[in-house]
Amino acid sequence: MVRDFRELLKKDYVIFDGAMGTMLQAAGMKMGETPEMLNITHPELLVSIHEQYLNAGADVVYANTFGGNAYKLEECGHSVEELVTAGIKNAARARDNVKPEAMVALDVGPIGQLLEPTGTLSFEEAYEMYAEVVKAGSRAGADLVVFETMTDLMDVKAAVLAAKENSSLPIVCTMTFEMNKRTFTGCMVPAMALTLEGLGVDALGVNCSLGPKELEPVIEELSRWTNLPIVVKPNAGLPDPQTNEYSVGAEDFAAFMKDLRKYGIRVFGGCCGTTPEFIKALSDMLRENGNEEVRRTGHKQIPAAVCSATKVVPVTEPRIIGERINPTGKKVFQEALRRGDIDYILNQALEQVSAGADILDVNVGLPGIDEREMMITAVKALQSVVDVPLQVDSTIPEVLEAALRVYNGKPIVNSVNGEEESLKNVLPLVKKYGAAVVGLTLDKNGIPKKADDRFAIAKKILDAATELGIPKENVFIDCLTLTASAEQEGVLETLEAVRRVKTELGLKTVLGVSNISFGLPNRVLVNHIFLTMALQNGLDLPIINPNIEEMTGAVRAFKLLAGYDKNSVDFIKNYAGKQVVSKIVVPGNITEKSGSGNADADGRGEEGGASQGKDASLQSGLTADMSVLYNAVLNGLKNEGAECTARLLEQVDSMEIVNRVLIPALDKIGEEFEKGTLFLPQLIMSASVAQAAFEVIRTFMVKSNAAPVSKGKIVIATVKGDVHDIGKNIVKVLLENYGYEVIDLGKDVPYQAVVDAVRENDVKLVGLSALMTTTLVSMKETIELLHENKLDCKVMVGGAVLTPEYAKEIHADFYARDAKESVDIAKRVLS
Amino acid sequence: MQARIELGQLNRQEALRYMGHGGAEPDDRLLALIEQCEREVLDAAQPRFVYRVCEIENESSGVAVKGTNLVLTGNSIREHLSGCERAVLMAVTVSAGIDRLIRIAQLEDMAKAVVIDSLASVAVEQACDRAEEIIRTENPGYYQTFRFGLGYGDLPVSLQGAFLNVLNAPKQIGLNVSASDMLTPTKSVTAVIGLSREPVSAKARGCQTCSMRDTCKFRQKGGRCNG
Repeated sequence: MVRDFRELLKKDYVIFDGAMGTMLQAAGMKMGETPEMLNITHPELLVSIHEQYLNAGADVVYANTFGGNAYKLEECGHSVEELVTAGIKNAARARDNVKPEAMVALDVGPIGQLLEPTGTLSFEEAYEMYAEVVKAGSRAGADLVVFETMTDLMDVKAAVLAAKENSSLPIVCTMTFEMNKRTFTGCMVPAMALTLEGLGVDALGVNCSLGPKELEPVIEELSRWTNLPIVVKPNAGLPDPQTNEYSVGAEDFAAFMKDLRKYGIRVFGGCCGTTPEFIKALSDMLRENGNEEVRRTGHKQIPAAVCSATKVVPVTEPRIIGERINPTGKKVFQEALRRGDIDYILNQALEQVSAGADILDVNVGLPGIDEREMMITAVKALQSVVDVPLQVDSTIPEVLEAALRVYNGKPIVNSVNGEEESLKNVLPLVKKYGAAVVGLTLDKNGIPKKADDRFAIAKKILDAATELGIPKENVFIDCLTLTASAEQEGVLETLEAVRRVKTELGLKTVLGVSNISFGLPNRVLVNHIFLTMALQNGLDLPIINPNIEEMTGAVRAFKLLAGYDKNSVDFIKNYAGKQVVSKIVVPGNITEKSGSGNADADGRGEEGGASQGKDASLQSGLTADMSVLYNAVLNGLKNEGAECTARLLEQVDSMEIVNRVLIPALDKIGEEFEKGTLFLPQLIMSASVAQAAFEVIRTFMVKSNAAPVSKGKIVIATVKGDVHDIGKNIVKVLLENYGYEVIDLGKDVPYQAVVDAVRENDVKLVGLSALMTTTLVSMKETIELLHENKLDCKVMVGGAVLTPEYAKEIHADFYARDAKESVDIAKRVLS
Repeated sequence: MQARIELGQLNRQEALRYMGHGGAEPDDRLLALIEQCEREVLDAAQPRFVYRVCEIENESSGVAVKGTNLVLTGNSIREHLSGCERAVLMAVTVSAGIDRLIRIAQLEDMAKAVVIDSLASVAVEQACDRAEEIIRTENPGYYQTFRFGLGYGDLPVSLQGAFLNVLNAPKQIGLNVSASDMLTPTKSVTAVIGLSREPVSAKARGCQTCSMRDTCKFRQKGGRCNG
């Protein structure tokens, strides 16, 4: 018999089964047991449960394979293959016994470990585990695969890609939402819909956590964001706190589900607490009442939108794409990339978001670095701290694909153009990963001068995308800004092309703006006027530097005047009572804004400052500015410290500033901390001033092509298995502020990575931290590997559970009680 | 059973203890920072808990939790639960939003990160206190022991995975354990409370039974934690 789930989905309604766990517990399974073991030990029990559901009216039964992955089955003595195969076979036997046309779903739940960044499981590891399950289920004869009870969109994406790349099974995904319409990891309903529809699943929806009544708002929202078949498998209401029994009976359950039909649900079933009785009631209800609502809802217009898991940005009004994460022409950025300094990129991101960026462009292309690896690292790290969607930007298709794989949500690809080669390489990636794409109106002949010709290329890109099945709303066209000083007549051509693409093709438009003023004085003035003109001609996605007040301001004012910002709410929120951001002057006449992410801390710092501050008058032999800096460090005044350092760089050598001011000031603070007269945050506030001072020095050195200040390199890492890295990060701040170059490998660091970093950078001191008794083993292993490789470096260790005795036992050279002591050790080793 | 908990104000004195040193007075700047961070922690925290009341039974290696395959191993938990007919298994988390908040703060300002980290630790303890009160109301007629955390005494932290499974905690409150037995989200607690019809002897939670006694940063400075 041919069983085609995709055909089944064309019916007005499809019935899935009810709970498995509830049935197994009723049959005597203990809490905490591995349910998949029953596939082998009690096959007749499972066959019987499946038969009951099929007899009750289910068209599809879920095999007992929910936790059948390598992680959960690790200690049960059976392989994934064995238990998954047995699970599918039991369901197939029941099907063959009572309802041959019914289908068997390979049921797959979450791995059981949280993915990075909250957990330690990587996307790639999750992918491998799902792939193993899918292959086993597919071989055993499953008709479809269901990923259910998922809470992390990244996890679902790993699962869906694993299914698509290792089988041809139809895919159903259901996630679990709470009352606030978010999953435990914060995933939003439209983010799920946009991402999974893009990845090409066959049906999607919700299961578990709540009853049908409580799930209504979630289902209502979902129905507005997808045209795919919607699956709803609620619990039998909410569990009673005393008895653990669910509150809704079978008849009421069916009645609630009857009401929910108005949202166009196609697949009905039950989760925790539901039994064959519920499925029978559901089946009776649908047979009696039908489900023509699913046809009545018709094809909905879903707005053009991009998203992360936790933020959805509909492009129904102008949205700012921040352009700063791009090393082109930025020496400091390039230097940071070469050092692998991800924090630098993250700070660029936070700064732009706080300035008003809705989306961030991410370009990490630089000769001499592995752009693919860097892109993966950057995308993962960025998504761990910012909500805004990303636009992945590279000229290399492999880099784009790597970014698209690990991106959590629906991103934008920057870019494709009218050349055949580009269309052929980039658009299939856009289709496969369900992204939006920027199409540049140029081809092998370059950028056409006339609007007509650019329009023609836009049309060509749209046609190529449509042919591949990429929806129109995912194609954004960049009509390209030319430099006004060189091609003045081109300005209006660009604007005309924008207008035509928007109105005639109905596509969203993108434009990098700042090129317009190249070679002119007062560029900001030209830029923001051009931006305003472009917005008026239909620009949706300006790519700008959002940190420039006039640019972001132009977009905000435009949105107010054009009626997007209803009642001027957003404009007032951003400008009422706001003061101008202070600017600091860096030597060499280069003006840069101080990190706006620190604006609050800075403001606070200056209030408290001088009057109640600690005094450096006893510090003899310092110039006036040196004393000011010394005081700024003591009192935690970040802006003042940075400004003063800039002044001092014009007077004295940078090492003089470090050795005569910064380090003595830090020493004094450190002493007070040791005596117990200061709290840890106060020590760090002082350290942050020194950090700001070092930043100024570093920028100065990079711009003047001098070697950066370094008193020696130190590798630090939180060991494998451990994600508590705040202690390690405090150590990093202190070490950097004493002028050491810290190579921070992050947390959960493999042993070999430490060895590699030490060898590649010829490092003489390694700092390892661990916070858990269970991860101390990793510390020991890391040290052993360093010794095995006969690397000439010392190791210092620290962390809450560590003792000097244990440090000695695992052959660490030093035990650092706290961050301050790690600096003392560094001084000794690297002097 | 699963419920949301309201946190209310956070105990700042307690947070200050986590931040450092005995005796020192925080200056105005630190106090202002604490106030700002407290708002952020309260905004980001989504305290959730789940618990289950189980019959228990002594066995050679420790205490077996009936109706499950979980055995709480070790002498300290056996002693802790002696005289108790039942035990409450509980898990509390203030959720992943807090981990994210700490990650961001570490980029912006480490001082702020330390303050947030300390306040978040206070938040999860307060959530535990609230959970204990709810358990008390919902289980009248019992005396409760203090909550005995996994990893405390000789109750091994390696039981985290099995413990969370019995509570169905990943599904109920989004609490998981990493391959190295670390709770994720990190600001979370798992603990056992004994229930007895008779008054339980006032066993102090003390340093003598604590596995951290040799390394405890409070003890090193001559103080003690609240445990």
